[in-house]
Order: sequence, then C-alpha cells, then structure tokens
Amino acid sequence: MRLRIAATAMLLTAVAACGGSTTDTSDIADLPPASTAELTVSIQAAGLPAVVNVWASWCGPCRSEAPLLATAASQFEGSINFIGLNTRDSQPNAKGFIAEFLADAPITHLFDRDGDVVIDFGGTSGVPLTFFVDGEGAVSTVHFGVIDERTLALAIDELLQTAG
Amino acid sequence: MEFTLLFAVAIAFVAGSIALRWEAARGNAVDCASDLQEVLLTAAIAGIFVGRLVSMVASGVNPLTNLADILIVRGGVATGPATVAALLTIAFVARGEIIAVADALAVASLASLGGWHLGCLARDACLGTASDLPWAMTQSGSSVGRHPIELYAAAILLMAAAALALRRKRPLPPGVAAATALGLASAVRLATEPLRPSLGGGPVWWYLTGLLGAIGALLVIWRRATATTGGTRVDT
Repeated sequence: MRLRIAATAMLLTAVAACGGSTTDTSDIADLPPASTAELTVSIQAAGLPAVVNVWASWCGPCRSEAPLLATAASQFEGSINFIGLNTRDSQPNAKGFIAEFLADAPITHLFDRDGDVVIDFGGTSGVPLTFFVDGEGAVSTVHFGVIDERTLALAIDELLQTAG
Repeated sequence: MEFTLLFAVAIAFVAGSIALRWEAARGNAVDCASDLQEVLLTAAIAGIFVGRLVSMVASGVNPLTNLADILIVRGGVATGPATVAALLTIAFVARGEIIAVADALAVASLASLGGWHLGCLARDACLGTASDLPWAMTQSGSSVGRHPIELYAAAILLMAAAALALRRKRPLPPGVAAATALGLASAVRLATEPLRPSLGGGPVWWYLTGLLGAIGALLVIWRRATATTGGTRVDT
C-alpha cells in the first residue's frame, strides 16, 4: 500500500515537473504601453463595445478565467473588442502568460505597468477585474474578481442589447 | 473572494438538510444505515472537485501545475462530469444499499438544487435573457428587462421536491424516487437553459442524457413491477 502511494506521489511530481517547462514566447511581441486617453479613443474609433480585462501573470485567479475570456473573445469577434490590460507585471512574464493561456485568442493586450489606466477607469489595485465599456468609451459595469461564465455572458448580452 | 458562492452553497446545504430532516421525521429513510447528510455532502464535494478538474483540463489548464486554481470554482465547473462524479460517489459510499440511499436522498437532492438556484440572490446572478414580460427584472444601472431565470428554476425544483416528498407518503417501488428526482432535475435545467445567457449554449446534452436516463430507469422499474405482478402494476 505504501509503495503504491509513493509511486503515485512520484508520478504526480514527475508530471507536474514536466508541465512546468518554460513557454516559448518568441512569437509574441512586447505589449504596447497603455494610456487612458489612447485606450478610450481606440474604443470609440472602433465603435464597438469592449470588454477590458485587467490581469497579471502572477495572479492565480487570472489564469483560471483566461480560458473563458479566450472563448468569449473568439465567439464575439467582430461584435465586441476584447482588450487585456496587463498590470504591475514584467514584459517577459506577461508574454509567457499570453503564450500559455491566450495564444490564439483575438485579444489586444496592453501594458499598464503601474496600474494608472486601471485606476482612471474606476478600478482598484486588485486583479483580476473586468470593465464592460460601451461603444462610446464609457464604462457601464465593473466586475471585481474572477468572472464566471454566466456573469460574463450576461454582461456581454447587456452590452449588445444596449448597443443594438 | 468566493464568499457569494459559499453563501449560495450554504443555502443549498440548509435546504438539503431541512428536506432530509423532514423525510426522516416522516419515516422515509428507515431502510438506510448510511448517514444521509454525510453521503450528500461527500457526493457534493466530490462532484464539485471532479467538475472543476474536468473544466480546467477542457480549457487547457494543467491542474497539476496550477494546483491552487482548483479552489477557484468560479473559474468553471463542468456540470455533467460533476453530476456523474456525485452519483458515482453515492454508489461507492452507500454500496450495499445504493437504491435505498438514492431514494432517501431524492427529495433532499432536489431541495438542495433548488436552494443552490435560490442562492443567486446572494450572488446577484438571477437574471437570464432579455424579456418584456411584466415580471422581468433589470440589473442595477440597466434598462433591459430580463427573465429571473434562476428564481424560475429554484421555484420549480422546490415545488418538485415538495411534490415528490408528498408522493412518498405512499410506498413506491425501489428506485422510482431517485429516478424521478434525476429526471426532474435534468428536465428543469433543460427547460430553463435557453433562457440563460451562456457561451456556447450550455451543457444541454448532459441534461438531455440525464432526462433520458431517468426515463429509461423508470421504464425498467415499471416493467419489472408489472412482470412480478402478472401485468397489473401495483405500488409495493
């Protein structure tokens, strides 16, 4: 019995160690720096509602919601802009996170080193958080913390209903 | 962090406990040696754990390298695998008296599900698709009326639990209560799913499978009952 438990523990450790290998980020460009004015203008210029998700590579909950945001971004491509606002992070770590969790998602990522844009948009220093912005650049809802599928789907539907 | 979810879980737990006590007081669980409260709780925890793992793997997140993420249930729980895991847990924990325990848990399971949906009030997550109906509700700061879909589901499930409990006043063949509860829970989710905003339509195939499985089980029980009584169905 002890042998079986030890073998299982070793197997789990080995698999975990394999999974922790460094991700290749050579295909990912540096994230452009974000400014509140530029972000607002780009949302207004696109004329589409936007979902602005604030994340950091060191944030565990951000990892857990990343696949959901990637799915939503693919599903609503063309009707809603998805923007990732990386905050209080480093470029290499941010690129590693994108390569691992958001590589193929149609999300535009920006770098907000000190979190100034997040504060200007009405957020806090905590991550993750998600802004739902109408086509005119006004924040309609802020969701603090990890977002679940129902909440995200409802907030997106609200943006589309209001826009339509 | 996850406190609103925990509050919803607490409501589900209380609803299930009340149903179990009610059933016990009426003598509906006398055949079981197992502690039903424990079985229900163990099954729920196992279901959530497996559902979370499946959800992580399905979305490309390795649970072994992101162990702490397993606890972030708001990141997603795969409903179908969670239900299967919960049922398998009941089968394992209550081996030797599976059908008796499943029957004894039927009403409590429906009540717990109803309580979980009612917990939307704590999570501020009751609303579904847009609606013009007079009872449609709006989110704060919004003018778009919406179906209070989770309240629909809660009301139907709690009424179904009460109806099944009342029906159990008269004896039912073994397995009928459990299969009926599974069928009702699946049917409620299947019927309300189109009114929930979702990414990708929701796990309707799991609900359909649950409903068909329950109907199949009821048919088998009915055939056995009629076979043993020479073609006349009786409640034993």
